[in-house]
Parts: sequence; C-alpha cells; structure tokens
Amino acid sequence: MTDAMLLAEALGDVLYTGAIGLILLGLYAMVVPRHLVRIVLGLLLVQSGVNLFLVAVGYRPEAAAPILLGGQAIGPVVDPLPQALVLTAIVIGVGVLALALALVVRVKDVHGTLDSREVAERMAAETGDSRLMPETAPGRGAAVPAREMLEDRS
Amino acid sequence: MKGYGRAVAATIFLIGLGTLLAALFAALPFGQAPMQVGQATAVVALPETGATNIVSAILLAYRGLDTLGEVTILFVAATAAGMVLSGAGRGEAQGAPAGFILRVASGLLFPFLLALGAFIVVHGHLTPGGGFQGGAILAAAFFIPLLANPASPLNHTVAMVIEGVSGAAFIAIGAAALFGGEAFLTPLFGTGTPGELFSAGSLPLLYLAVGLKVGSELAGLMARVAGEGGRA
Amino acid sequence: MIGTAHQIVLPVVLPLLAAFLLPLVGRLHVWPARLLGQIVGVLHLAVVAYLWTLVGGGETIVSALGGFAPPLGIVLYADRLSVLFLLVLSVGILLFWPRREHGGTRADTLTLLLLGGGSGLVLSGDLFNIFVFYEIVAVASYGLAASGGNAAGFGAALRYLLLSALGSALALLGIALVYGAAGTLNLADLSVLAPERLSGPMGLAAFLLLVLGFGVKAELFPVNTWVPEVYTAAPTRVTAILAGVVSKLSMVVILRLLVLIFADPGAQTLLLVLGLAGVIAGELAAFRAPDLNRTFAFSSIAQLGLVAVAFSIPDDLGIAAGIAVAVHHAVVKPGLFVIAGHWTGPIERLGGAARVSRPAAIAFVLLSLSIIGIPPFPGFWVKLLLLGEAFAAVDPVYALAGAVILAATVVEAAYLFRAAALMWEPPEGDNRPPAAFPLARLAPTLVLTLLILLAMGAVSPLGEALEAMAAEVGDAAIYVGNVLPGRI
Repeated sequence: MTDAMLLAEALGDVLYTGAIGLILLGLYAMVVPRHLVRIVLGLLLVQSGVNLFLVAVGYRPEAAAPILLGGQAIGPVVDPLPQALVLTAIVIGVGVLALALALVVRVKDVHGTLDSREVAERMAAETGDSRLMPETAPGRGAAVPAREMLEDRS
Repeated sequence: MKGYGRAVAATIFLIGLGTLLAALFAALPFGQAPMQVGQATAVVALPETGATNIVSAILLAYRGLDTLGEVTILFVAATAAGMVLSGAGRGEAQGAPAGFILRVASGLLFPFLLALGAFIVVHGHLTPGGGFQGGAILAAAFFIPLLANPASPLNHTVAMVIEGVSGAAFIAIGAAALFGGEAFLTPLFGTGTPGELFSAGSLPLLYLAVGLKVGSELAGLMARVAGEGGRA
Repeated sequence: MIGTAHQIVLPVVLPLLAAFLLPLVGRLHVWPARLLGQIVGVLHLAVVAYLWTLVGGGETIVSALGGFAPPLGIVLYADRLSVLFLLVLSVGILLFWPRREHGGTRADTLTLLLLGGGSGLVLSGDLFNIFVFYEIVAVASYGLAASGGNAAGFGAALRYLLLSALGSALALLGIALVYGAAGTLNLADLSVLAPERLSGPMGLAAFLLLVLGFGVKAELFPVNTWVPEVYTAAPTRVTAILAGVVSKLSMVVILRLLVLIFADPGAQTLLLVLGLAGVIAGELAAFRAPDLNRTFAFSSIAQLGLVAVAFSIPDDLGIAAGIAVAVHHAVVKPGLFVIAGHWTGPIERLGGAARVSRPAAIAFVLLSLSIIGIPPFPGFWVKLLLLGEAFAAVDPVYALAGAVILAATVVEAAYLFRAAALMWEPPEGDNRPPAAFPLARLAPTLVLTLLILLAMGAVSPLGEALEAMAAEVGDAAIYVGNVLPGRI
C-alpha cells in the first residue's frame, strides 16, 4: 500500500464519519428540541452532511483539481461533476433556509411563540377543531365570530 | 423525566440509522467510485467548451438547465420570503447603528468587495470561482453596510430590476440557440483560445447573468430577513 | 423556425421568463402583470397541446440540452405520459389561478414558477435535474401555502417546509448514493447500468431515500403529515393545485424511477407497503375528520396511496391503472376542494346546503359518486381496472392489497354519503344553513364535473389510449433506445 492510498483511506474515514455525524446531529436537532430556530439549524446540518458526502464521492487519490490552467496535459483529476452538483445543492439550501427563517419570523409575529408544539396547538385551534369552540375562533388577536368561519378563504 | 423519553428514543433511532448509513457508505469505497460521466466530461470539456475550469463548464454547458433551475430557486425563495414578510410587524428589528470603526470600515470595504466579486464572476470560466461565488461577494458588498448601519436603505427597486433583467438575459442567451435550430443553452460564438478572458463562447455571459442575479437576489433576501422586508 | 425536438424546452422556460419579468411589470401596475401571467398560462397550454399533436401517436421527442449528447448533458424527454401530465398541470393551474392576494403580484409569480418547475419535473431525463425542478416546485408551494396571510397558514407552511426540506435532503443523499454506485445521473444510462451496479441493498436504500424525498409532495405515507394542515390553512385554489396537480407530478417521477432504475421486487414491495399504509390511514382519518377540508385532505392521501399500489404492480396494466387513478383524482378532487373551501366548519353544519345552492350540492354528489367508484362514472372503471390487476397479479400479496382497497372503498362511501345526505337535510337545530355559493366561485367545479360526465361517454377509447401509453411507459427499453440509441 502506498502512502497516497493510506492517506486516501484515512481521509475517506474522516469525511464519511463527518457526513454521517452531521446528518445524525441535524436529525436529532430537528426531532428533539421544540425551538423553531433550532429545528431550522438542524435542517442546515442535515443538508451540510449530505453535501459533504456528495462531494466526497468524487474524490480520487493522487488527482488534481479539475481546472486546466496553463494548458497542461489532462492528467487524472477528481470528479468535477459532484462539485458542480454540490454547488447547486448549496445554493438551493440557502434559498430554502432563507425562506424558512422568513417563515419563522412571521410565525413568531402571528403566534407569539417559537415553540413548535405551541404553534401546532394554536393552528389546530384556529383552523380546525371548531367543534371544540363553535362560537369563536382565535386568530389575528381578536375573536372572530363563527359566522365568518363559513366564509370562503380563496 | 418525561422530557428525556423523546431524547432517548431519538438517540436510539439515530444510532441505528447511523449504523445503516455507515454500512451503505462502506459499500462505496472512498476514492474508487465509477464516476464515468464525470471523467468523460473532464476529458472533453476543454475542447468542447473552451472553459479551463471544468466545474464551470459543467455548470454552464453540460448542466446549464440545473443552473437555470438554481437561480430560479433563489428567485422563488426571495419572492416567497417577500410575500411572507410583507405586512409583518415593524419595529424592534431596526437595531442601532454599529460603532464608528465598523461603519467607516464597511464603507471602505465596499469598492474592494465590488471589484473582487466582479473579478471572480468574469473569470469564472478560467479559475476557481464563478457567478455564484462572485455573486455572493457582490451581495455581501451591499449587505455589510446594511449590517453596520441598519438605517441605510437598500435600493429594492434597483435590485429588482437587476434581478429580473439578468434572469431574463440567461434565458434569452439560452433561447438564442433555439432560433438557430439548436437545443436550448447551446454555447454560442465558438470556443475561442482557452485560458483567455474572452473565450469559451457565451459561457462568461451566462456567468455574468448568474452573478448579477445571485448578487441581487441574495442581497434582497438577506435584507428582507434582516428586517428591511415589506417595503419593497 | 425552432427545430421540432428543441421546442420541448418551451413549457419550462416560458413561465420562468415571464416570472422573472413579472415583478418589473408589476412595479408599473398590477393588472398588466396579472394579465401577463395568465396569458403565459394560456400560451403554455397552447404549447402543450401542440406537443400532444407531436407525441400523441406514440412518437417521442428527445432534446439534448446545449447540444451535448447524453449521458454527459441533460436531456428532456417527452412521451405521451409526460405530455399528458403537462396538460393536467397546465389546465389545473389555469382553472385555479390565484385570486389577487395581499402580496400584490407575488402569488402570480409563484404560480408561474410552479408551472415552469412542474413542467421541468415531468420532462427531465436526468436524476439531479429532476431534483432541481422538484425543489422549484417545492419552494413555490411553500410560498403559495402561506399566501392566505392567515396565522395558521404561516405555521402550516413552515412545518410543511421543514418536513419537505428534510425529505429533499434525503433524496439528495439517495442521488449521491446512485452517483457513487453507478457513476451517472442520466435516467436512460442508469437504466442500462442499474441491474449491474444498483441491485441489492444499495439500490433499495437509494430508492427508499428517493421515495421519502419525492414522496413528500406525492403525499406518500409516512411523509404526509403536512397534508391536512396545509390543505386546511392554505387558500382553496392553492389546495386544489397542490392536491390535484403537484402530487401527481411527483408520482410520475416515482413511476419513472421505478420502471427505469429500480425495477426489482424489493422496490415494488416497498412502494406497495407505503401505498397501502396511505390507503388505510387516509380513509380511516377521513372518516373521523371534523370538516370537509380535512375529509378531502385525508381522502387525497388515500387516493395517492392507490396510485402507489397500482404502480407497484409489475405489469403494464398496473401502470395504466395508476395513471388512470392519478388523472381521475386530478380532475375530481380539486372540484371537491372548491366546495370544501366555501363550506368550511363542522360537517354537521352542512344541513340545508342543497337548498342554499343546488348546483354545488349536485356537483358534490356526482364527484363523490365517481371517486367512490359507482358505475357508470369514470371512477368505477378506474377502480375496476386497478382491482382487476391486483387480483390477477401473480404475487398473492396483491390480492390482499385488492381486498384492503375494497374495504377502504366501503369506508370512503360511508363518509361521502354521510356528508351528501346531510346536505339534503334541513339545518340541524337552530344552526343557520351554509353560506350561499356564488356561481362564479363554483365555476371550476362545474367545469370539472362536466369533464367527468363527458369522460363517461368515452370510456373505451380512453381505456385503449391508456393501455397504449402504459405499454410505452412500462418498457424501459423504449426509453433507453430513444435517449441512447445504440446502447441496447
């Protein structure tokens, strides 16, 4: 076994373990805490773990970066495709996270809490179990007469 | 103790999942993936597109539709965030201005960030970097002054015009090939001399559109989430 | 002027181009922007109709984008299945174009992006490109889900986003596994390489991850917890589009993956189990649902479960049954959601509805009869096809699935008849009857009911067209031969 191969093996272990660790940590943060910002950060960790794995898939021992400046002959290069995919995936992740945070801001605005369970309870109270509260529906701060609940929402 | 039940259950589940993932990853020996499309692309990319940065060649030529989709997602997210935040409560989001040093430094940084971002965008087909990286730096150039002094307004109208026109330009460059009977996003103007600034045909133009779009999009998005939103 | 094959990119880029420019137009004035959006919607329909004339006879169109031959470049692939669902998408979005929301033209922009992204989703022949378009559709639908501006809408959209983005991350992990194992992303190329490189646990794991990811929009068990929340809190038109159209596009993607790449018994059983779980959980929850909106949300989960069960049957007719259930549901359910969105509140208060608005009550009954599967409605033929296939399949587990579907139909009939019967009764106690239904608001439902009635008269030609389509879709060799001539 050459040094390069040993190095590659060690690098592989580190990267794969890191990817799995990030995914698990992120899943934990999405499942256990009830604070919405923590859940969003958990999502960020899961995405990072997946991206790390994706870019690690393209590794190749003793290869150069896929940039052919200086007109050198094409030697072995690492796989450029996963790098392009990861760039795309990162940008997608940024967009989704920004929207998630915007929604968190708004949820705090209208529900007054960042606790995911409390938000769920308030939502159930507003939209659904009008059975439990036939006359009033909470929402936007003021009691809405039951009559309005029959109006169209479209 | 009931608060811990959830954590314990999750931990046990995650340990199982981790073992499964480890077993799966072990089936893909590191550094020996088949990567046949990637390697085939690496060989033909330079002669076919004239771009020395193969990742850029893939992003703009071979997988140009992905890139269009990608800038579209930023646009969707910015539009949706604008919708969500429009009519949100104002007030405490407007923080006090930062100290003197930060404010002055952010002003001094502005031209350098602008120049660096522009350099990275226009050299995207040659060296590491490109529209996304450069666009992010351009966005930072406009966002840092906002962080230093929350009262300074970001001109949403200009951002919106750049956003719309650069997005449309990407599609227009792609669609230009359609009228020549070629497929969408077929590179135009030949490959030129690889390694020169004006080479790789229409790819640098696409990257310019991407850079402007990403820059305006990110700046607008961050400014909205930071509490500027709803005014646009 | 434009080469024939390359026109298939138009359904994708036209709406995107319009969406980029819409905010600029909207800056000047709101009404030209809204008009522009709807004109592009009509143009999209025209392009799709034109594409149907090209592929309707069984031809296919393949366009290698950028002129780079597959598998290096991305291909768009149009056959009858893709164009059929493009048509469903186009018509669905035109019928349920959002009303003017508080956000100005933003809802119109998001709808256009949904149109373009959805078109890319069904046309794309590249695994990662499918993911990108899926994300466009996903992010646009988070925004639309929150577009009502009500408190519950924001909460529901956030929870929807978190689940769906987690699903997408898993799907991306699945794509990474596929690329790591097979070294390519082109569906046709993968189809050739899959038996060798994606068999066994690796293939099954990749399929599971992809199904969990794309299954969020397809309302598959167990990633469908967002459905009742979002469908109750979002504006009616958004609910109609998400339930009617977007869910079907994801099912088409899952079908393509199953046929082309993961055509092995393990993957089929997986999809069957998830589908059956959806049918059972959906119908039981629908039976207990407090209001019409939730009833239809859960019933929608059950119907998509049926589609998954049908696609899991390893036979062309199974695919035909799945497409039939999907299209039938795409026509019927949006119409029902329009009624549910107007008559909200507890089901018990539906008393007197028929007296207030007879057309709405009649449309409700007709659509319900079709969805239950009472002859001579199209829904009957659809269910007959599905059950016939289930009981004829070699594997006895499908007979069990057929029995479950029959039992679920009884539950379905029970809750739909209960609601329909209530409408013809006088209001209970001193409850007021439901609000009157303006005809303009009911129009989409009436159009869709008319479609169902027309389909009643054309069952046999539709059935033949469906079988031809399914035979084409179910044969991976046709797809591979079209994309990579010479590889097979």
